[in-house]
Amino acid sequence: MGMVDSPNGRDSGRKAKRRRKRLGFHIDMTPMVDVAFLLLTFFMLTTTFSRANTMEINIPPENSEVKIAETNVMTFRIARDGYAFWSIGEGTPRKMRLYDESDAMTLSSEVRQVLVQQTKANSKLVIVVKISDQAKYKYLVDLIDEFNMMNIDRFSLDDFTDADAKAIGILASGITEVPDLN
Amino acid sequence: MSKVKSKRIGFRIDMTPMVDVAFLLLTFFMLTTKFRPPEPVQIDLPSSHAEQKVPESDILTVSVSGDNRYFMGVSSQLSRTRIFERVVQPRLEAAGMSGIAVTDSLQGFKLAEVFPVRKNELPHFVTAARFANQRLRPVVKADANADFEAVNHVLKLFKESNILTFNLVTVLEKEVR
Repeated sequence: MGMVDSPNGRDSGRKAKRRRKRLGFHIDMTPMVDVAFLLLTFFMLTTTFSRANTMEINIPPENSEVKIAETNVMTFRIARDGYAFWSIGEGTPRKMRLYDESDAMTLSSEVRQVLVQQTKANSKLVIVVKISDQAKYKYLVDLIDEFNMMNIDRFSLDDFTDADAKAIGILASGITEVPDLN
Repeated sequence: MSKVKSKRIGFRIDMTPMVDVAFLLLTFFMLTTKFRPPEPVQIDLPSSHAEQKVPESDILTVSVSGDNRYFMGVSSQLSRTRIFERVVQPRLEAAGMSGIAVTDSLQGFKLAEVFPVRKNELPHFVTAARFANQRLRPVVKADANADFEAVNHVLKLFKESNILTFNLVTVLEKEVR
C-alpha cells in the first residue's frame, strides 16, 4: 500500500541496519488511505453539482387587453380526465386525448399534429389555454413545454369557467367515466 | 520475462501519486459540498425540455406539494428576518407572546429554509417577501400531481402582486426529439 520512503531510502532486506541508522523507514499508510477513500466516495456521491432546471414564464399584466379577430383564436381546453378540446373561434370543440397512454411523458401525437397544422395554417394564431381546476399541474407544464419546442410564443392562460365546462360537457358527456390519468 | 513472472510474491507499487490525487479530490469535494437542507415534503417535479437553470441567489420559492399544501422558502436570512418582522411578529405579539419568546422563534424562523404556509396566508407572505427584497426572483416548485387549481392560485397571486416573470421548476426530460 501507500508507503512513505525517506529520500535516501534503501531497499528492504537490511532490517538490522535500518534500526540503527534510521534511514529508509516505512510507515504503513494503508488505514489512512482507506479512510481517505471512504470519505472521497462519500463526498463524491453526495455532492449535487446541478441546479434544477426551470422554465421561464412571462405573463401579461392584469389590465392589459389585446383585441384579436375571432378566427385567429384557438381555444385549447383541458378537462380533468386528461382529454383536450380544441376549437377555432366559436366553433364546436373537437376532442382528443392529451396523452397517448395514461403514464406517457409527452403529449399525444394527435395534439402535436393539431398544433403544428393550425399554427402553420394561420401565422397569427393565438392559443388560449384553459385548464380545468381539477386537472393536474403536469398538463400545464407539458403543454407549455410543447409550445416552447414548437416555438409557439403566442399563447395565454385563461380561467376555466362554467361556460367552458358546458362547451365541452356536451362532447364529454359520453366519456365521463374514463378513469383519471395518473 | 520468465524471471519476473516467477517472482510475483511480495512486490510493492509506489502508490504515492494515487494517494495524492485522492486527497486532492477529497479536499475539493469536502470544500465544495453544500448539503441540501432537509425538505419538509417530497415534491415530484414534472419533466420538461427546458434547460435554463434556477437563479443562484435571491430566490423566493413557492412549493406546492402533491396534496396541494403550500410551502415557501426565501434564500437569504436577511429577507427571512424582514418577513418575520412584518408578518409573524405582529401576530405572535397579538397572541400575547413575550419578547423573549418572539426572539426565540425569530431564530428558528431564520434557519428555516422552507416553511409551510396556509393558502389564505400566502398573499401576506409573498407581499412581505417582495417588500423584504425587491430583486427577489420567484420560482414555483409544484408537484406534477398537484391540482391545477392549487398552482393557478399561486400564478394568480403573482399576477396580482405584479410579478410577471417567474420560473417553474422542472426536471430535464431525457427524450430527444
